[in-house]
Amino acid sequence: MTRAAAALLVAVCLPVVGCSSADTGADEGAEPYRIGAVLSLTGSYAGLGIPEKQAIDLEVARINEAGGINGREIEVIYEDDATDAAKAQAAAVRLIDEEGVLAIIGASGTGHTVAMRSDAERAGVPIVSMAGGSVITDDFSEWVFQTPWPNRIVIPFVLKQMAAAGRTNVALISDTGGYGVDGRDYVLAHAQEAGVTLVADETFNAGDTDMSSQLTKIRAADPDAVLIWAAGKEAAIIARNARQLNMQQPLYGGSGIARQEFIDGAAEAAEGVRLGTGRILVPEAFGEGTEAYAVATDFIARFEAEYGAKPDIFAGHAYDAIGLIADALGRIEGDVTSEALRDALEETDGWVGIDGTFTYSPSDHNGLTEDEMVLYVIEGGTWRLDD
Amino acid sequence: MDAAEFFQYVIAGLKSGSIYALVALGFTMVYGATGIINFAQGEFFMLGGVLAVWFHGLGLPLPVAGIAAVAATALIGIAFERVALRRQRSASPLVLVIITIGGSMVMKSLARHLFGPDELSLPEFTPGPSVDVAGVAVERQALWVWGLTIVAVLLLAWLYRRTKLGRAMRACSISHDAARLMGIDTARVAMVSFGIAAALGALAGFAVTPLTQTSWDAGAAIGVKGFAAAILGGLGNPVATVIGGLVLGLLESLSVAFVSSTYKDVISLVVLLVVLFVRPQGLFGTAQRGKV
Amino acid sequence: MSSVKRIRLFITPYLGLIAAALAVAAVPLVTPDRYVLKVLVYVGVNVIVIAGLALLFGHAGQISMGHAAFVGIGAYTSAYLVKTLDAPWLVGVLAATVLAAAGGLVLALPALRLRGHYLAMATLGFSEIMYVVFREARAITGGNDGLGGIPYPEVAGLKIDTPVGVYLLVWGVALLTLLLVLNILRSRPGRAMRALQATENGALACGIDTVGLKIRTFALSAALAGLAGALYAHGVGFISPSTFGLDQSVIYMAIVVVGGAGSLAGPTLAAVVLTLLPYADALVPGLSKDTIAVMQDWEADIYGLAMIAVVIFAPAGIGGLLKRIRLRGAGEVRS
Repeated sequence: MTRAAAALLVAVCLPVVGCSSADTGADEGAEPYRIGAVLSLTGSYAGLGIPEKQAIDLEVARINEAGGINGREIEVIYEDDATDAAKAQAAAVRLIDEEGVLAIIGASGTGHTVAMRSDAERAGVPIVSMAGGSVITDDFSEWVFQTPWPNRIVIPFVLKQMAAAGRTNVALISDTGGYGVDGRDYVLAHAQEAGVTLVADETFNAGDTDMSSQLTKIRAADPDAVLIWAAGKEAAIIARNARQLNMQQPLYGGSGIARQEFIDGAAEAAEGVRLGTGRILVPEAFGEGTEAYAVATDFIARFEAEYGAKPDIFAGHAYDAIGLIADALGRIEGDVTSEALRDALEETDGWVGIDGTFTYSPSDHNGLTEDEMVLYVIEGGTWRLDD
Repeated sequence: MDAAEFFQYVIAGLKSGSIYALVALGFTMVYGATGIINFAQGEFFMLGGVLAVWFHGLGLPLPVAGIAAVAATALIGIAFERVALRRQRSASPLVLVIITIGGSMVMKSLARHLFGPDELSLPEFTPGPSVDVAGVAVERQALWVWGLTIVAVLLLAWLYRRTKLGRAMRACSISHDAARLMGIDTARVAMVSFGIAAALGALAGFAVTPLTQTSWDAGAAIGVKGFAAAILGGLGNPVATVIGGLVLGLLESLSVAFVSSTYKDVISLVVLLVVLFVRPQGLFGTAQRGKV
Repeated sequence: MSSVKRIRLFITPYLGLIAAALAVAAVPLVTPDRYVLKVLVYVGVNVIVIAGLALLFGHAGQISMGHAAFVGIGAYTSAYLVKTLDAPWLVGVLAATVLAAAGGLVLALPALRLRGHYLAMATLGFSEIMYVVFREARAITGGNDGLGGIPYPEVAGLKIDTPVGVYLLVWGVALLTLLLVLNILRSRPGRAMRALQATENGALACGIDTVGLKIRTFALSAALAGLAGALYAHGVGFISPSTFGLDQSVIYMAIVVVGGAGSLAGPTLAAVVLTLLPYADALVPGLSKDTIAVMQDWEADIYGLAMIAVVIFAPAGIGGLLKRIRLRGAGEVRS
């Protein structure tokens, strides 16, 4: 390590002098608002991150074509966390320190959102997460907001539906990632209250390719139904393994399996699977004539025209995330800073999105309730409202 | 636990055990012929799966796609030996290990570029519901895995015992230098061993993909397990290697039943370390090759 | 070779170290950019790991496919002690170093009876086991999703919580580590190690305790990895299992191989350059993010090919190159 190395160090560092972060003052004129997005575009959660990116692209283009916000466009800088918490954290650091973003949308996953938290808090940059772990808003941070219904809302709903159908002996299989662990905690806490007995409790790791052994154990416990709490693509393998083991019990799940990839991956084994989540999969559920119905059908039509496929719940989470930020930016009076944006987000009141009607408060950064939930059953390779 | 449940675990264990056995045989063959621990062996497994998916996607019927994938992987194995390893035969084990590690990185990464980052899947060879044997569900694909494993092992046994090449391979595994002095073309033996090892890995990858899906990064984990199986069998004797694979699969599966699914993957690793440290000649004990 | 030239050759590495120290001190004066300083913290941490691994590989002739696991042991140990148990930072770092060294001993004692490739596999198995432990020991490690909010370093009541402070701390330790390793290489054990590298049986015949030497080297190398891990945990504030997996261990090996066996300057330089590579767009003007994305995409291919190419065509790696330049400077070129 000689002078060459020293010269290298100095040379590489010189040019960046002065491009320090967080100076997004009003004097920049028509500079766009820079928003960061940390998504799982590859890895186990790629099925979440890709539609999320599509929805954000779609909405940003619409907003900018309409003249932007306060005459300034929105620019989104994407980072792929590859479904890896450490990469999500590094991406957040990069967006905050290097790109100087006003806010961060993301991450796709619960654990990945939590990983970004301390850096966002230290730097004072708000995060709008699209992940469904309760921990994101239960473990309250003034800088972290959430668009999907957390497990706190979905799990009691699904458990009650299971109990109502007379399936009171339930086996749980959950992943060991943030979403699964968070969900498992809620199942354990709410089973009794919902009138459900947990007869088996198995876990698996992201990336596992065969869950036959766990299911054999579950089969031996003879449950009335199996609850899958996972967000990765492993859920499809579980459904297939269950069928291969000749298990007759109905399968239940939540938002994590409300995706086309689950239906494609599980193929026939997906038929008859029930899941509780929001209304976007069958927009009639919003009730025709309501504002929410108008918002959802408009978004679905534009999404379909652009990408040739219907948006799923994850596209909906992303629509809400960018929409909430745009709405908050429009309400800021004076200098647009991360701090001002955070305050404006917290003052969100009755904004109608896809996941529901959002009203944030200094103690609630999710703002949704069980009323947004419906139960679907998968039939003929698509979702139908369960009756 | 009733008998049906117990045997369900046994079936699962024998299923993954067969896969480990095939991969382990690859380690054993290459080690026998060249003295190299091939860190790229797991990648041959991965290549078998992703290439089969690719050939199948081109419109080839499934059996043809499988044969093409196995053949292509064998060629890759041979090419790897010829290009990267042949001239280094006299180098220290350190260098050879580094080369196979580098090769494994390149194969894995190229597979990601060529076939994408996502999971890939194949249809089952003979789709349909599992066969029910007294309450134990046996997947049809598992029957294929066993059938192909048995065929591969029988072919290998025939090669070892009945052909001139096989005898040359056995001679090399006893003593490389002596074999060369006896006029055996050790370079050719090394090349063929790599080809067969790659084909065995690819066959395992092809057979199991309909059950588990595959992806560019599927090689590392199976490589470690295959090596653990090979070590368990003593890294020399093909029959012991197959038994090592089956034992490892059963241990893993039964550990889910009696311990926890969480630590399933640790079983093979602990077996690996314990055998390495306590009994490096394997459970079925042929003495380790000395080199002083 | 005249004695003057001999002296020059002897002191050049120390001069290099002094130059590096000056460069390290100069960076914060030149740029206050937080991001650059954070990236350089990653570099400093890797330099510490690589210094230990270079000692192990280049001089004791051992492969470790599990060094990321030792980094992880250090990171989690210190993070847990300081964050959860409120231990002083120094205690955390010391415990991290000691525990990683102990882990190294536990692995090395039986494994070093084995030949090279067996040890490589044993370290690989150890690395995978530790990965599962990091993932499953949720009460301590936070599981798959990692552990955040790890406190900044604090020495004698002084909290080091600015990017410049963390940077200077990490690089201070890195320079001390390089000095330590340099001195070991120049001591009697260091020369014994080189004999070991040349021919183990020869070294044995000369009365060198090869096994003891290998075990001590392995433990020291693991200790340095643990130390680096602790610095990483407190400097970055967040750790999760994927940072300490097999892929990272392989990357460490690739850096050392490309840097060159038997050299310290080579691997150090390789660690600096290769760690900076994914962040080059932040450092070099005019380089677009897309270029970097392509480079990152091909990173593993490049590492793999570089490893193969170096051991086949230029076993001395970057270190060999530096040595030739140095010898030329000293007026002599050995072919």
